[in-house]
Amino acid sequence: MSIEPLAPPKKPKRLPVLPQRGKLSMFEIALFVACLVLIAVELSQNLRDVMVLTFLFAGLGLAWNIAGGYAGLISFGHAAFFGIGAYTSTILFVSAGLTPWIGLWCGGVLAAAAGALLALICARLRGPFFILSTLAAAEVVRIGALNWSSLTGGPEGLSILPVANVANMVFVSKTAYAVLMLAYVVFVYAITKALEGSRYGYYLFAVRDDEEAASAAGVNPLLVRTAAMGLSAFLTGIGGSLFAQYFLYLDPTFVISPELSFQFALLPAVGGLGTAIGPVLGSFLITPLSELLRSYLGNAAAGLHLVIYSAGLIVVMLYFPGGLAAALNRLGRGWKRKP
Amino acid sequence: MLEVKDLNAFYGPVQVLHGVNLSVAASEIVALVGANAAGKSTLMFTLAGLRTTHTGSILLDGEPIGDFPAYERVPRGLVLVPERRRLFPFMNVIENLEIGAYSAAARPVARDTLDEVFQLLPVLAERRKQVAGSLSGGEQQMLAIGRALMAKPRVLLLDEPTEGLAPIYVKLLFDLIVNLRRSGLTVLIVEQNVHHVLRTADRAYVLENGRIVLQGQGESLLKDERLKVAYLGL
Repeated sequence: MSIEPLAPPKKPKRLPVLPQRGKLSMFEIALFVACLVLIAVELSQNLRDVMVLTFLFAGLGLAWNIAGGYAGLISFGHAAFFGIGAYTSTILFVSAGLTPWIGLWCGGVLAAAAGALLALICARLRGPFFILSTLAAAEVVRIGALNWSSLTGGPEGLSILPVANVANMVFVSKTAYAVLMLAYVVFVYAITKALEGSRYGYYLFAVRDDEEAASAAGVNPLLVRTAAMGLSAFLTGIGGSLFAQYFLYLDPTFVISPELSFQFALLPAVGGLGTAIGPVLGSFLITPLSELLRSYLGNAAAGLHLVIYSAGLIVVMLYFPGGLAAALNRLGRGWKRKP
Repeated sequence: MLEVKDLNAFYGPVQVLHGVNLSVAASEIVALVGANAAGKSTLMFTLAGLRTTHTGSILLDGEPIGDFPAYERVPRGLVLVPERRRLFPFMNVIENLEIGAYSAAARPVARDTLDEVFQLLPVLAERRKQVAGSLSGGEQQMLAIGRALMAKPRVLLLDEPTEGLAPIYVKLLFDLIVNLRRSGLTVLIVEQNVHHVLRTADRAYVLENGRIVLQGQGESLLKDERLKVAYLGL
């Protein structure tokens, strides 16, 4: 939605090759087609599992990126929104029989409310103080979920009966889950792209890059931040519901853990903060790496897979400042320069 | 139109402005001059509702606005063009202008305002898709003013708009200010370029160590020996 009055000279429309802010590119379409092909080919159950998780975490990284990358609200508390989404749809399903197809939106809305509330209270804080406040808020939610046993099942957790049925959003085949998760990625990606090309996106960038100048221009920074956090939490909550439907079991120590929050933040950080393609590339690199290392090396020597995983992360952080998205752009520029 | 009474402004515990009184009438160009660190920018920030805490009153058309945050002063028509322009360098010209039209009042008419801004500042129309960081200093200043105009201001606060500009842009800028006044805008301007600004302004205030020490008609102030004293601290 641009306010541009005079039509610029019409150029023949061609998609850009590499991802650009607010525009669809050939790279993104190719990546999507590759995902479809990957879903279609025959793979072992183990690899299918990795694929489902990779898609799910790509979506979750994208959701986190709206707050952390676009609004500059580095949150280490997104597991709380994830947990709220997961528990809401599961409780509605298990105790009230509401289909998760509706429950996941309820989970998203509740998570959004929690996110907006958190931003209203904490987004006045800056830098490390904001980060710590999100970490603490998520711990409050985790401890609350652990102790409110009548609602959440406490430390014993909650299970969803594995009755495979489309209405229950429970499937036997992992391919169905892969399609579901890919749909989630596309949904969050489309929202991200629409956001970064719209004036709401410009407000976010403005507040992130120079809050004082944005205020001077009339932008209400707290409102803009609160909306971004709410949207990010909404999408994270939906991801939580999808996770619950895949694992069919929830317990607070995992779904509301700080480790999970760090993971959400890590994917965009590796892939490229504040870019749409970043979290996707981040998840496509990190999630298979961590899952495969765990399954192949997990038994060989305790902790070895974590050492290799961390070393890999350090290398990426050192040699790809700006993340994989920036590396991709550099590659593209180098390729263009050649005759 | 804009009235400031007994204004004291603070950065934390440090008091920068001491009992400042000033008023700007509708469609007037008022200059604020003074040596470095006299408190000119602090006054501008305080008027815009940024950074400082203050005591005393700020009235816009008789309405006390001193307790409002910046984003509630902008829709009332008081808009600051900050020192050093403060654009969003990675966004293009149109996107920077979009941000200026945030308020509920400015948004519905943004398209028309944009036409006006482009007419007033044709260089922006030429560069509409260029990222702000790649514009020249003069173009950036025009963009900063354009961004403020998108908010439909009635009183424009300009903080050192000619800083670091080529002489041709300095002239262009003062022409623009006179033009804006002709269209009904009220302007309060902070300037280091004393000779130029005092010739353009209707009235001026001289600020020294956070206090107003001198005021008067623009041109006549130029001849006043006390102006030199305020500047050079003699």
